[in-house]
Amino acid sequence: MIKVNDVSLIYPDGTKALKDVNLHIKAGELVYITGHSGSGKTSLLKLIMGMEYPTRGNVTVLGESIKKNNAGKIKKVRKSIGPVFQEFKLIEGRTAFENVMIGMRIQGIKPKLMKQKAHEALEKVGLGHKKLSKVENLSWGETQRVAIARAVARKPSLILADEPTGNLDYDNAVNILGLLKTFLDKDTAIVITTHATHLINEETNATFIRVDNGNIKIERGDLYHEEFSL
Amino acid sequence: MKSFLYNMGYFLKETGRIIKLNLLSNVFSVIGTALILFLLGVVITGTNIGNRLVVMLSEEAEINGYFSEITMEEREKLVKKVNKINGVRSVRLVDEIEAKDRMEDILGDEASILELFEDNPFEAFIEIRIDLNLIDNILNDLKTMKEIEYVRDNREVLKSIEDITSGLKLLGYLMMVAVGITTIIILSHMIRQGIYNNKDQINTLRLLGSPSAFIGFPYILTGILLTLLGGIIATVSIVLLINLLYESFAGTIPFMPLPPRSQLLDKMTLLITSISLLLGFVGSLFGLSSIRER
Repeated sequence: MIKVNDVSLIYPDGTKALKDVNLHIKAGELVYITGHSGSGKTSLLKLIMGMEYPTRGNVTVLGESIKKNNAGKIKKVRKSIGPVFQEFKLIEGRTAFENVMIGMRIQGIKPKLMKQKAHEALEKVGLGHKKLSKVENLSWGETQRVAIARAVARKPSLILADEPTGNLDYDNAVNILGLLKTFLDKDTAIVITTHATHLINEETNATFIRVDNGNIKIERGDLYHEEFSL
Repeated sequence: MKSFLYNMGYFLKETGRIIKLNLLSNVFSVIGTALILFLLGVVITGTNIGNRLVVMLSEEAEINGYFSEITMEEREKLVKKVNKINGVRSVRLVDEIEAKDRMEDILGDEASILELFEDNPFEAFIEIRIDLNLIDNILNDLKTMKEIEYVRDNREVLKSIEDITSGLKLLGYLMMVAVGITTIIILSHMIRQGIYNNKDQINTLRLLGSPSAFIGFPYILTGILLTLLGGIIATVSIVLLINLLYESFAGTIPFMPLPPRSQLLDKMTLLITSISLLLGFVGSLFGLSSIRER
């Protein structure tokens, strides 16, 4: 689903965000990317989303290469991704329902089915009763849930969530992570970046990628648990 | 294509929202576009009337041939001879009495002045209706006839009208170019401003995999709608102006050969509406070209 081979990312100002990264994420996999602020977590997600292109190496997402001259294919890839952005990127002035539908509009889904899916997604994140509220009138946690509903309503092959627990209290953060995990199935991979490692050190059956100063270290399940429990 | 059809309601809503976002600026662009299109309409209407005048005068073109003292029989022979010249449509003999009657008609109440003459001062002549394009050949042929003393033509008048019409035509073309460029600049600026105001939303749509056409379509609709509104205002103003013009001419210059009013109104309505639609589309495309990829 995602193949990152010997990838380096250097920004125009010379900042080395990622150094010779290798990564392989399969369908049905739950992946946590951790690391402190500025470690390169978001840069890795941006590469997967096609928001940045690798300076060296190859990134392939859902069978398509992420490179500068492949813009058309990158758009196609994005249609199959359910992104949950750190700053949500919801459209102000529209209701929660309209925001959830916007993700599906570009997929050419019939209006009736689109409305049904949007309604189901909002129900699932517990916001069915607020579907007609403008997003700017919702609380931080509710806005986060609308962003998740938008991401999952389009039945993506890959859910990418960038710091979905940021600015949330402990209980809400645990709830959001729990909610995201409910969308994991054999055809869908979920990649979550977080610096809140205390929220995930109980986690098993997940892959943990630790990003530190552009380098990554991949660990699975219990190994990670032990390291962070010490 | 499917996503366009399914989302037509969304596109229309977005168009309304884009217009409302900068309502005052958009109202001013509509007024500006309407004024520009109105000016264009005035020039095109003027060109139309001028063209019609030239065509009518060309069809009615006639010259008068004056002859020396000849007998009635010779006059009839002369008429037949002139009728054979290439480009002559018809020839008619106007005798001295008819010439005087015509002048009395022209003078109207002032015709009593002719009573001061003891004898009829008017000469007989032949009235020759001609094809204006062949006027030079006809004049040359007439000069070779010994009975003809001199010929009076109204070529200078026709030439002046043709010159004015050509000038109006040129002005019309220049106006079209100026209107086109101005409208495109105004509109593309409005669209660019709309895009700038919605840059976050556009960025989000891109990240969700939206094609440029999907993002740009509401902006194209906005551009078309704004110029169409301007076009409708301009058309209504032109229709009012044409009606006023016809009523004034009917009262003051009844012999003015104006084109049929309904024909002119239909032509101007279609033309201004089409131009506004076209300019709206082109202006929006120019504005959209400023959206950067990624």
